[in-house]
Amino acid sequence: MRSQSGEEPAGFLQPSDSEVQGWMDRAFHMAKDALENGEVPVGCLMVFKAEIVGKGRNEVNETKNATRHAEMVALDQVLEWCHLRERDVKEVFKHTVLYVTVEPCIMCAAALRLLNIPLVVYGCKNDRFGGCGSVLDISSDDLPHTGTYFKCISGHRAEEAVEMLKMFYKQENPNAPKPKVRKDSISPAGGSIVPMIQAASDDKDGAKTALSD
Amino acid sequence: MEPDPKRRKGMEYDSWDVVPVLSDEQSQDLKLLDAYAAPIMEKRETSRLVKELATSFPLPDLQHIKRVRACKDKNTSHPLEVIVCLASDVPDQECKGRTGPTLSDLLCSQTFDPRGLGEPFLVQIPASAPLTRPQFERASKHWPTSFHEDKQITSALKGQLFSSSEKAKMQEHMMEAIEAARSGHTLGMDAVGAVVVDPQTGQRLAVAHDCRRGTHPLHHAVMVCVDLVAASQGGGAYQYEKYPACRYYVPDPQVTTSHMDVSALESHSTSDKAKENGQSYICTGYDLYVTREPCVMCAMALVHSRINRVFYGAATADGALGSRYKIHCQKDLNHHFEVYKGVMPQACEELLDSK
Ligand SMILES: [Zn+2]
Ligand SMILES: [Zn+2]
Repeated sequence: MRSQSGEEPAGFLQPSDSEVQGWMDRAFHMAKDALENGEVPVGCLMVFKAEIVGKGRNEVNETKNATRHAEMVALDQVLEWCHLRERDVKEVFKHTVLYVTVEPCIMCAAALRLLNIPLVVYGCKNDRFGGCGSVLDISSDDLPHTGTYFKCISGHRAEEAVEMLKMFYKQENPNAPKPKVRKDSISPAGGSIVPMIQAASDDKDGAKTALSD
Repeated sequence: MEPDPKRRKGMEYDSWDVVPVLSDEQSQDLKLLDAYAAPIMEKRETSRLVKELATSFPLPDLQHIKRVRACKDKNTSHPLEVIVCLASDVPDQECKGRTGPTLSDLLCSQTFDPRGLGEPFLVQIPASAPLTRPQFERASKHWPTSFHEDKQITSALKGQLFSSSEKAKMQEHMMEAIEAARSGHTLGMDAVGAVVVDPQTGQRLAVAHDCRRGTHPLHHAVMVCVDLVAASQGGGAYQYEKYPACRYYVPDPQVTTSHMDVSALESHSTSDKAKENGQSYICTGYDLYVTREPCVMCAMALVHSRINRVFYGAATADGALGSRYKIHCQKDLNHHFEVYKGVMPQACEELLDSK
């Protein structure tokens, strides 16, 4: 983590550990629901002052738009929430936390920066597309024209998040050879998910080991 | 608004060069390694010496290096020189306090017959294989290397990849993006425009301008364009009725490949295969023209959408296709694409300044 990550934007209250746990449980519940319905098992919610203001699920297939990741959908809901309540969008985003079961991709990480989201809590790493340190570190790189950096808390129930994605592959493509995936990281794509082949490793804190296929 | 924008300076397609945005590996100077070479004094010993050196000092990571070179100076007594070993192969104490190791220093730990080999001298050799002709030419000044030339990159670097009729087509597409940027600007938007084209048919599929100051803070021109392409295929997530300049075209099946523009033959054979395999993503095989270099979000959206090529006019400070990142050739990502900059740069840079 950069030294930047110590400071928080004015007025932003970092959630307590038990709050983080509670919201992540909700996100995991969403992911499980999605899995049971044959959808990409990624749970994602946006919380503004102890209220859920956006929830997202991957909508790539129905929109044919490969950018409709759960995070982007959830961000749209926050905009809608602000619109209906005539709240100042910028003010709300500045105090909104994203809870998501998988590390946001490079695109979503940039979108979160552009909207000045201060904090992202995620489960497992995303070795293929991750924008919070796995492929690039969009969350904390110095990008003066791309919103503001955000802080990340990672590793929450990471193995479980990977397990769900592995199960999703199996039901998507039952004939595919069983992928060996790291326990704490996974590679969700947009509409079609391509598993990474990787020997299982035991590090639990989501180390940034490079994958090779 | 000028009465006839096409007559303004810098609008003629022979006034600009399309510049390929290559990876760092392709554009940086090759790293050099210190090595010891020695003259081969007796030519008939050459093949034996090379064989023995390859056993004693194998250079497994330097397959591109030619072990023997012809002497540049035709007047020397020895016509050939050979790499003995890397400087890093020589233990430190050998060189201390002297001008350099002698041949027997280098060979001391080897059962090696030095017959025919002269005293060693220090050279620098390229640490990796050259990927482009300029790299090859610079590398060759140090030591001969092999080079598997990518002809397309060579001609792109010379500005000869695209014919003048292809550049005329490019200019048409970029003009459309510029027009869109201007329409958006009159509505209070940032002056950025983008166009998606199917290079196989020359048909325009979507045209968009930036809408971030309007309905949605993430509606950068590229994001809008990607969504409009999805809409042209029966999908799409948003409506843009407030912005009539943002529009899509349903491809006309009557238009065949005979109208092909901007040499897309080769790239298309792969995308056709992908489409047959049912792996089609919305922008597979398509080209994007955008007035300025996309940001990280937009660049990654193009990776997710499997764009074929991107052409842009002006660079941007946090730009993700050359300036700050090179997402199009980022290692670990599952889709890479070609990027060219410098298409109508003057007109595109003028847009950057419009307030
Ligand atoms: Zn994403
Ligand atoms: Zn953008």
